[in-house]
Amino acid sequence: MKLTEIFRLVWLNLVQNKFKVFLTSTGIIVGTATIMLVIAIGTGGKLEVAEQFKNLNAGSIDISYEYNGSQFSGMGGSAPGGNMGGGMGGLSRENADFMQGGFMGFGGMQEQTNTEQIILSEEDISNLENEISGISDATITYTTKEEAEGGDLEESVSYTIACVKENYINISNLSMAIGEFLTEDNDTYKERTCVLGYSVAKEMFDSVLDAYDASVYIDNRSYVVNGVLSEVGTVASDISPDEAIFIPYETGIKYLTGKNISPTITLVAEDVNLVETIMEQAQEVLAESYGDNVEFTMSDAGSKMEAASQSNETLTLLLMAMAIIVFVVGGIGIMNVLFVSVKERTNEIGILKAIGCDRRDILTEFLLEASCISLVGAILGVLVSLGITPIIEGFSVRVELSAWGGVLSLLFGVLTGTVFGFYPAYKASRLVPVEALNLE
Amino acid sequence: MNQEASVIIDMRKINKGYMLGTEKVPVLKNVDFQVNKGEFVAILGPSGSGKTTLMNIIGCMDVCDDGEYFLEGQPIHDMQEKELGMIRNQKIGFVFQNYQLISTYDILQNIMMPLVVRGMSTKEAEEKSMPIIEMLGISHRLRHKPSELSGGQKQRASIARALVGQPALLLADEPTGALDTNSGKDVLALFKQLHQLGNTIVMITHDLNVAKSAERIVHIIDGCLE
Repeated sequence: MKLTEIFRLVWLNLVQNKFKVFLTSTGIIVGTATIMLVIAIGTGGKLEVAEQFKNLNAGSIDISYEYNGSQFSGMGGSAPGGNMGGGMGGLSRENADFMQGGFMGFGGMQEQTNTEQIILSEEDISNLENEISGISDATITYTTKEEAEGGDLEESVSYTIACVKENYINISNLSMAIGEFLTEDNDTYKERTCVLGYSVAKEMFDSVLDAYDASVYIDNRSYVVNGVLSEVGTVASDISPDEAIFIPYETGIKYLTGKNISPTITLVAEDVNLVETIMEQAQEVLAESYGDNVEFTMSDAGSKMEAASQSNETLTLLLMAMAIIVFVVGGIGIMNVLFVSVKERTNEIGILKAIGCDRRDILTEFLLEASCISLVGAILGVLVSLGITPIIEGFSVRVELSAWGGVLSLLFGVLTGTVFGFYPAYKASRLVPVEALNLE
Repeated sequence: MNQEASVIIDMRKINKGYMLGTEKVPVLKNVDFQVNKGEFVAILGPSGSGKTTLMNIIGCMDVCDDGEYFLEGQPIHDMQEKELGMIRNQKIGFVFQNYQLISTYDILQNIMMPLVVRGMSTKEAEEKSMPIIEMLGISHRLRHKPSELSGGQKQRASIARALVGQPALLLADEPTGALDTNSGKDVLALFKQLHQLGNTIVMITHDLNVAKSAERIVHIIDGCLE
């Protein structure tokens, strides 16, 4: 039989059983929609990660110090490693010693670390740069929260104030929308100048242009706006550039915080492969300055990126596994319905065989039916996924629909139906004409 | 035309049995049966005599256990499933007791199916089917489904389907079995007409009155032809 004629017969059977076709393809509809969305969410996740990390230098290492409070000072700071020290606020030194000794007896207690107040400084940067090779750049920053007002704001608003050096813009891969970033002189002379994040400028002045060269008031002192940063969007770094006001490091110390700050040193490795070595060496260099009983928190951008990518990939794999399960269930559904269909149409198969249809014709017809049902399901599945997308986006999940995702989902859908439809089609093709004809 | 060339069906010592549990029950025993071109033969026998089994073997829908069967000189007993399918399509036209029309196709689609199976396009098959459809007087029912036709009309459609491929042999299994008396008479008259037009017909029946329409009656009793 000609393939076109087989297609015609398949079409006849499908249009006469539209509702059955729809019900049969439900599994494929769900499976295809799931695959399509998994691909779209996976792609969206990847783009999200890429965008969040776009201003992070892959070779950058952040070093900070977490002060746990004086061992028995009564400050109630956090205590790592199961030690009770930080939480002993209110106990007398003798009692605390007794308690510590008592608990130490159970084993597992570690020596208290970071009980000394340490403030990282530019001197540490010099030491690190001198002792460790492979560092291309380094900077020091800290942030604080201050009330600021200016422009169209009717009352002061609390903003993140990032106190940074002049090289911060390059290390963070930022760019200026207007004006210039802070300079070395600004820092040296502790000038009251600032650079506004994009959102801050829009909020205060309604336009980036109006913000340039205007004045803002931070803690009731005026600062000249040197420029405004370009919009960045959501980022993975500690400082969200759009939402921050940048001022010179030394200016921050002089006018806002004093010297009691917790700065972060950022080192940039010449080569990403050197990051691990530099981190180890940095720990040693800092230990020389501050002693072995001090632990610095170190994190590198590459690891952060890798962790974010891995968690995204894990999520994608999980969703993919779910989609495959849905497909298998859908495929079994198709197989089931086709078996019933073969049973219902045994007499028809007998007639076709009596008038000369061979096994291949019967196999092709039933297989094409399975493929067409799957194709219908797959197309509906893609449409369903398009319909669901805005709902998912409503939950702040980034969904990046793509043509190749649609094609892949369609292929998956059709392939599943065809594979699961093969066995019933094969069984139909093997029916003995006499038996098939006589089956009521 | 020599005598051998005029023989359509030539069956020699055909045996066929079916397994009933572990025991083989013989259904056809050493059957010798010949039909000449243009003959109208009725195989008459009661239920369980083996006439349907004989029809299935003649119609190439079943194979014999041993013996030889030649259809227009071709050794059917040596053929495989695929070749048997081609023989069914090209040399045999079936008329069944229950019409065996495909319920989801309309009458035209049913009638032209053997030609479509043969590889013709729908258009070609339709053109080729029309003279037979007109001869059988069902051209006004072509777009109807089988369920919308009377028994007599369905049987006419079934006969039309059997004839469109211009087969060497028209094989009818109790063609009047499901029809009322008048429709049955019409169908038998049609068979006689087809016989007069030169068609070779083998009809299987348990009804002597129906068998009398044929020019030769062969009796089958307990798997043996008499």
